[in-house]
Amino acid sequence: MGITDYFKPVRSMTAEEARTFMKDKNPDDYNLVDVRQPKEYERGHLAGAKLIPVGELHKRIGELDASKPTITY
Amino acid sequence: MRSRAAAAVLADAGLEAVYNMQGGIAAWEGLIAAGPPESGMAYFGDSAQPQELAMLAWMLEDGSRQFYAGMDVHLQDDNAKKLFQNLAKAEVMHEKTVAELYRGFTKGRAVEDDLPSGRDDIMEGGIKVAEALQWAEGKEVATILEFAIALETNAYDLYLKMERRLDGDAQKVFLRLAEEEKRHLERLAELLEKKV
Repeated sequence: MGITDYFKPVRSMTAEEARTFMKDKNPDDYNLVDVRQPKEYERGHLAGAKLIPVGELHKRIGELDASKPTITY
Repeated sequence: MRSRAAAAVLADAGLEAVYNMQGGIAAWEGLIAAGPPESGMAYFGDSAQPQELAMLAWMLEDGSRQFYAGMDVHLQDDNAKKLFQNLAKAEVMHEKTVAELYRGFTKGRAVEDDLPSGRDDIMEGGIKVAEALQWAEGKEVATILEFAIALETNAYDLYLKMERRLDGDAQKVFLRLAEEEKRHLERLAELLEKKV
């Protein structure tokens, strides 16, 4: 069994790429998800970001539109 | 790091195009954040046999145990220290459970005897233990907790996926492991909420 077969990368964007991506679109065209804790979100978050702390992700996945591109931070 | 794990979960759940924004909100504000060790989401091919799933689970549990136990000396915060000690103990129990499954799948073989030779110790999330311990040195407790949350998220996700691939008692075991990882996740998140 090749152990390295078990790991795959996650697609990512730099903050700059994300900025460009969102600038050209309507906020309804993508999901922007803040996966931090509520306190962190309160202190500051990106405009329009939906707060779903990572621990709640599995039960709240249905709140996201699966057909739209999604950015997490 | 949490968002990377989150992105992996969402991509796996079938969302169209999922991207993790590198560096999180700190990068957005133009600051450069210190990165965690390179990690990848664990996954397995369609052809993976039950004993391979059990072996992978054992290796990841063993790696995580080493991480939690190794972090003990670095942590100054008493609550975090205690939580990490408890998590290390929990991972020992998980290793035993998974070793038992492996024995069942292989007609009595010990998983330790069948491990690939020359492997690095890898923990949940596919991160090398030695790199993670090195990375964690001198980091804030909140940063280390975030990292542990990312690990447990990956573990939770991995067990749910394994559970769907199995049936009978093995399925029940992986479901229970998934639930326990989720509780770890919640305990880490609770502590992080107090530290941020």
